[in-house]
Amino acid sequence: MAMLRGTLDPLVLKTLSWAPMHAFEISTWIADRSVGRVEVDDAALLQALHRLEERRLVTTEWGVSKNGRRAKYYKITPAGRDFLRVESKRLRDHFDALVSILWAKTAK
Amino acid sequence: MPFDLRPGVRRLFRLPLSTPDATRQDVDDELGSLIASRVESLVAQGMSPADARTEALRHLGPSLDDARKQLHSSAHQRERRMRVRDFVDGVIQDIHYAARGLVRRPGFTVVAVLTLAIGVGATTAIFSAVNALLLRPLPYVRPGELMQVSLMLPAEGGQPSSALGWSYPMYAMFRDAQRMFADEAVYTGTEVTLTSGDVERVTGEYVGASYLQVLGLSPSRGRDFAPALDAQIGGPHEVIVSYALWQRRFNSDPSIVGRSIDIDRVPWTIVGVGPRAFRGLLGQADLLLPVSAEPPAQLAVQNYPFWLVARRAPGVTAAQAAGAAATLGTRVGDAFPNPMGGAKWQVAASPLNDARVDPTIERSLLVLSGAVVLVLLIACVNVANLLLGRASARGREIAVRVAIGASRARLARLLVTESLMLSLVGAVASVAVAWVCAHLLSTIDPTSILNGSRSRSYALGVVGFSSIALDWWALAFTFGVSLVVGVLFGLAPALAAARESLSGALKGDRVPGGARAGRRALVVAEVAVALVLLVSSGLMVRSLANLLATDSGVDATNVLTFRVTLPPGSLGLDSLPGFYQGILDRVRGVPGVADAALDACAPLSGTCFITPLGRDHAPTDYRMSSMTNLEWVTPSWFSVMRVPLKRGRMFTDADRSDAPRVVLLNESAAKKFFADEDPIGKHVTVGGLQDAEVIGVVAGVRQRPDSAPGATTYVAYAQSPQPRMMVFVRVSRDAPSIGTEVRRAIHEVAPQVPVYDMQTMAERTAAATAQARFRALLLTAFAIVALSLAAIGIYGVMSFAVTARMREMGIRIALGAGHARVQRLVIGEGLGLVGLGALIGLAGALAATRVLRTFLFDLTPSDPGTYAAIFAVLAAVAALASWIPARRASRVDPVVALRAE
Repeated sequence: MAMLRGTLDPLVLKTLSWAPMHAFEISTWIADRSVGRVEVDDAALLQALHRLEERRLVTTEWGVSKNGRRAKYYKITPAGRDFLRVESKRLRDHFDALVSILWAKTAK
Repeated sequence: MPFDLRPGVRRLFRLPLSTPDATRQDVDDELGSLIASRVESLVAQGMSPADARTEALRHLGPSLDDARKQLHSSAHQRERRMRVRDFVDGVIQDIHYAARGLVRRPGFTVVAVLTLAIGVGATTAIFSAVNALLLRPLPYVRPGELMQVSLMLPAEGGQPSSALGWSYPMYAMFRDAQRMFADEAVYTGTEVTLTSGDVERVTGEYVGASYLQVLGLSPSRGRDFAPALDAQIGGPHEVIVSYALWQRRFNSDPSIVGRSIDIDRVPWTIVGVGPRAFRGLLGQADLLLPVSAEPPAQLAVQNYPFWLVARRAPGVTAAQAAGAAATLGTRVGDAFPNPMGGAKWQVAASPLNDARVDPTIERSLLVLSGAVVLVLLIACVNVANLLLGRASARGREIAVRVAIGASRARLARLLVTESLMLSLVGAVASVAVAWVCAHLLSTIDPTSILNGSRSRSYALGVVGFSSIALDWWALAFTFGVSLVVGVLFGLAPALAAARESLSGALKGDRVPGGARAGRRALVVAEVAVALVLLVSSGLMVRSLANLLATDSGVDATNVLTFRVTLPPGSLGLDSLPGFYQGILDRVRGVPGVADAALDACAPLSGTCFITPLGRDHAPTDYRMSSMTNLEWVTPSWFSVMRVPLKRGRMFTDADRSDAPRVVLLNESAAKKFFADEDPIGKHVTVGGLQDAEVIGVVAGVRQRPDSAPGATTYVAYAQSPQPRMMVFVRVSRDAPSIGTEVRRAIHEVAPQVPVYDMQTMAERTAAATAQARFRALLLTAFAIVALSLAAIGIYGVMSFAVTARMREMGIRIALGAGHARVQRLVIGEGLGLVGLGALIGLAGALAATRVLRTFLFDLTPSDPGTYAAIFAVLAAVAALASWIPARRASRVDPVVALRAE
């Protein structure tokens, strides 16, 4: 399923709000949580991470994964948490509005 | 697990990746790691490695190459933006830190800012004055081409050569023969009475027809004089009124051109309104009158009233013009022999700009500039001292920062940000100080300053104190100086502090030796500079005191003075005594008036009228040695002004026009013309009086406050009436309030006659010393500032030294040194610094005060009394400044001091 514009960043931040992760863990986590309904291209994910780092919503550090592989870990910053909170609320309002319009009763 | 460092120790955000290559490598590594992880995970789910790899690449989205390209570019952008943000954040952080530091030490901040503000502000104000009075180009078209051409009286018999006005025929000869000037115009000041409507005395200039054109100006309304007008002697009565007069007297009436106005009871036609803000080269003119309309007698060869301004022809340099003018001048000198005998007249041309201000004003300004630069120097030294003290007090903090990884560059940036902020705040405060000072300078009335200086002809009225204002240049100057001071004097201590040894600073070795020596050197320098200023101001004040202590020869208290001038031709000479008698009688009738009298000139207002005096017969000798001041007075003038009679008798009302001619001499004149003889009963011929008898000798009255009374002959007004007289009124109560009543009283008898130039005699006396007071005031202000700054410097260094030596003091006290002894120790050290500074300053002062010689009245620049007084003041201030820390040192509790470290 294709991603709605502007929803990837909050999803990534939400994922990182549980724990610092590297890109593959993030991708897997999103796929698991949506039971496969949301799949993110790896390239798009990495670009989103660049973007988030640039905006200081996440920080990075190279570390070693459980499998002994070198991986770049991302950690959400306090600014990232603030952004996530605001953005989630904005998205929910947005979807509520969409839903109330699209499922409104229409004259037969 | 990463991120295990304690929070706050590492910087929150990672350092930017140093190179583009490193950035690309970082992207490739991560991409590789991601793909490998996915492959691994797919293989773990049972996929073959080849399929897993294909699946992983598919999952990437775009092709591997495209993905890399996109990611490289987004990573580069990220690095670039993060670097900018880091820098901005750093600067903001520095500013926050600096602001916090400044606010946390309000004492330090206030002193430093005030010091900067006073030093830089005063410098800016004086710079503005120098700019306005000496530097700014004259407000005419291509002012560099304008020259003043003067007739010169050659140097003779110890008298230096001096500029003289032209007579009209001499000017005409010069004009017709010269080739180096494209155009030229004469001008001369005049005073006239506007007799239509409200009677008003105004200043004007008689000018050549092309006067405005030479300057490159044109009337703001109406037309200029026709160039041919110069040729029509006795020509039409046309006048150009000044823009100011048009606004003030005619309410900016748009239909003014072509109207008629009565000047000295003669109708003139207004042909134009002058350029805005133009008051003639003499700076006071409300009327421009064509010289060709002057009474022909004024244009005769024996009158020398004219100044000449000329614009050089294209391609002629100033030197060429001066040379050609001098050559032509010898022909003029041959054609018109000097009637006083002696050397021939010459002609000199010099740039008009050279004549922009009176030379004494220029010298004063240069002296003040020098003084204010010294003040600025002291201010800088003090700020440096403060910053140095602060930097060494913070040695430990800085060492800690270095220890935890702050780079020297980062540290320097932090400290420079702090001093920059300090200087910016200082700059804003400086602008305020400069604005106030410049405003004060601009309100100085140039006429009162110039009064008593020999000649108005040196000065162009256009360059006035009122033109002093802060402009963009001055603001740029202020900010520039503040920033340079801030960075220079902030960076040096910052670097010194950064260089300090880590271990020493951390151990609490709080006073690095180098900084202490540096601060002491600064204090010595400060004291030396302050001494130079103190001595200069001391000399000025003593000179002023000498000047004010001179006896002018008259009692100036409770005397009101004003002029009453009759328009020419309104009364015959014979009727003048009666007219003035009527005025004096009316004035005497005003309540509070004790008596009133006439004289042609006011005392202390410069030489008024000089003429040769011959014993017995008519004078033939026109040299200075036979000249006397001539004053026309009514008999009561001497009693009104309280000038005592020394020998013989005073004038009486019986000395009328039909009585034998009589004169009074002052003591100088008696000595000059009669040496040891008794002048009483001798006969002289002077000022149109043939064979007048000397009836008495009176005490001298000064023409200038700084020179002894000149030889003066008094003539009884009734025997030699003049149309332009000054009235002296002795009053028994507050003079200004009587002024209005006196005006009213005169208006009742003579409504058509203007009463003007009304001042108390005390005001005239004050005006005569205005320049000296101005110099003394400013220099004293500078000296007080310098002394206060030096005191702050001494205090700062001594109190710092005491703090640093707390333990030593404790030991001394513990070993039995009394409080007095410890105090003596500290004060002695402070006085030692001051003594060294004073010695250096003494040499500087002896050299610097030589330039003051011309300003000193009855005082040598090395006046021992002044030096002694200044040393005493300096020693007292230094002792006080070190006594406060000394007292603190003597109160040290040895137990506390020894345990403290």
